[in-house]
Amino acid sequence: MKTAYKVLAYLVAAEVAVQAMVMVWAIAGLGKWVDAGGVLDKSIMESEGTPPFPEVAGIMVHINNGFFVIPGLALLLLIISFFTKVRGAIRWAVVVFVLVIVQTQLGGLGHDFPLAGALHGLNALALFGTAIYAGRRLRAAAPAAVVDEQAPAATPV
Amino acid sequence: MSSDFGRRGRRVLKVLLPILATVAIVAPLAWLWQDSRVPASYSVMEMGYLDYGGRAATDPGAGGHMHSHDHSKASAPVRSVTNMIVDPARPADVRVDLVTRQETLAIADRSLSGFTINGTSPGPEIRATQGELIEVHLRNESVADGVTLHWHGVDVPSAMDGVAGVTQDAVPVGGQFTYRFVAEQAGSFWYHSHQVSNPQVAGGLLGSLVIMPKSGITQQVDVSAIAHTYGGVRTINGKDDDLHVPAHPGERVRVRVINTDNGPMKIWSSGAYRLLAVDGTDVYRPTEVSGSSVTLTAGARADLEVRGPGNGEAVRIQLSKSSAMIIGPAGADVPAPPQPDTDLDLLAYGSPAPLGFDPAHPTRRFDYLIGRRPGFVKGRPGMWWSINGHLFPNVPMYVVREGDVVVVHIENRSGEVHPMHLHGHHVVVLARNGVRATGSPWWVDSLNVLANQSYDVAFVANNPGVWMDHCHNLKHAAQGMVAHLMYEGFATPYRIAGPTDNQPE
Repeated sequence: MKTAYKVLAYLVAAEVAVQAMVMVWAIAGLGKWVDAGGVLDKSIMESEGTPPFPEVAGIMVHINNGFFVIPGLALLLLIISFFTKVRGAIRWAVVVFVLVIVQTQLGGLGHDFPLAGALHGLNALALFGTAIYAGRRLRAAAPAAVVDEQAPAATPV
Repeated sequence: MSSDFGRRGRRVLKVLLPILATVAIVAPLAWLWQDSRVPASYSVMEMGYLDYGGRAATDPGAGGHMHSHDHSKASAPVRSVTNMIVDPARPADVRVDLVTRQETLAIADRSLSGFTINGTSPGPEIRATQGELIEVHLRNESVADGVTLHWHGVDVPSAMDGVAGVTQDAVPVGGQFTYRFVAEQAGSFWYHSHQVSNPQVAGGLLGSLVIMPKSGITQQVDVSAIAHTYGGVRTINGKDDDLHVPAHPGERVRVRVINTDNGPMKIWSSGAYRLLAVDGTDVYRPTEVSGSSVTLTAGARADLEVRGPGNGEAVRIQLSKSSAMIIGPAGADVPAPPQPDTDLDLLAYGSPAPLGFDPAHPTRRFDYLIGRRPGFVKGRPGMWWSINGHLFPNVPMYVVREGDVVVVHIENRSGEVHPMHLHGHHVVVLARNGVRATGSPWWVDSLNVLANQSYDVAFVANNPGVWMDHCHNLKHAAQGMVAHLMYEGFATPYRIAGPTDNQPE
């Protein structure tokens, strides 16, 4: 369970990194396309079939990761945390989960209030750091937890 | 002993608590997932819940929750939408044969998979005169998913509305269907498939329909401009070039712009113009406009009038930044005018005129509140569009009775624009964000509702049947942004999915 917890926490962090990468990739592709005379408006954004520039895939990956994969990983992390029996594991899984929820809300809100998009970027860093910390602290915390469990037996009555 | 029990209890609790916590998370999700699933085949009459708009339910048997499985009440005598047709004995005035095919389109040196009607996309323009009976014979040669034809903006009898699974079965490969309706409204309309409509419309299964007034029009030049984006390529009438329209100096030119895409489009001109009609309804006393753009939402039409300029010059009408119409003598051109900062406000354009009914005392009032929230739709997790707080299929079924005066409050809290389209009716805008309309009666069938905007619209329930009331960003419709309007005492025998695999979105 501890290994699963660590893997899931690191996967969340890795996915956040992927999210940042694919967005910049998509925006760079958009810039190149506009430079060559492409015009982006709602009709183009909502058009079906072959995309106007290949980096549109970055946006699709971002949406799917953000709405499905990362919340799924965070939820699994939370569930796994119940079984790790390491002090603080649940707390940090909850923090990761809450940050993921906040992140999806900020992402959606950014369509309406662009400033929420800026907070989406900032919250991504918080999520990344928290997920890494959650994974790393488990390694450090693991022996402590074992000591905790054995402590009563070692204490003379 | 007691400490033994205590220790054992703690141990049991240690095992049980994580399991209980897991169940506490997973069980509600599983319930939501289960609740969002739709049966293999269903009638839109069984979808969601009935909304009587503040009136008492007089026909409770006509619908119900999809999961209730309570069909005991559904035995009230009802008329089928299939009966809502024009007199079969009346001969047609305009006859058109349309053949649909699934094939490769050549757009801007690219080969795209798409659809044709009589070998082209867009399909042929259908023209008729007000009062004539139009008869369209549709044959599906090779569109694998099946097709239908919906007459966007024409308030046809319900059986002719062309919505797969609501007013007919999708026409399979080798199948046929005949549409018959009287062209009662003069104006600019279009037709498109309403079977798997998101990919089929995007792939070009569409065309224009122009109904001329009996008295004719005062313009010397009359041209349709279908704006459509094929695989990211903007086109007018299927070509990715500017559309040249020959016109002599002083000639009045009527441009019928049809937005067949999923998003709103701005139109602006290098010269002055008048906006003659919106969604097939004339604007009363339209004034001359310069320096403002017109927003044409998805599915909407705008008829503009410009004058052929003198001195060998041309007028340029931009349909978005990427495509334009150039009106004037052959070879003449004019630089693209900058996109105006201001938009023509149809709330105050033209002059007031009688509506023909009194919306001040409606018999029904509905809310159509658009939101977005996490949840499941058809078993899939995601951030989904909600209608009055509910996700598809648990959305309202608006119930009216023939003759009702209906007011609908549309409010968009979803963060994105939605082009709202009610089938079978035109609605008149009463107010936007609480500000009352002061211009010409602004009748629409496709309404651009921006994020954080609200509209109050009204209509007379004068076309009995079962009608879709959905977002014409067809991607959004496919994501479940679809409600229906139903007349008391009317029902549809058709089903979504089922043997003919009806998929209207």
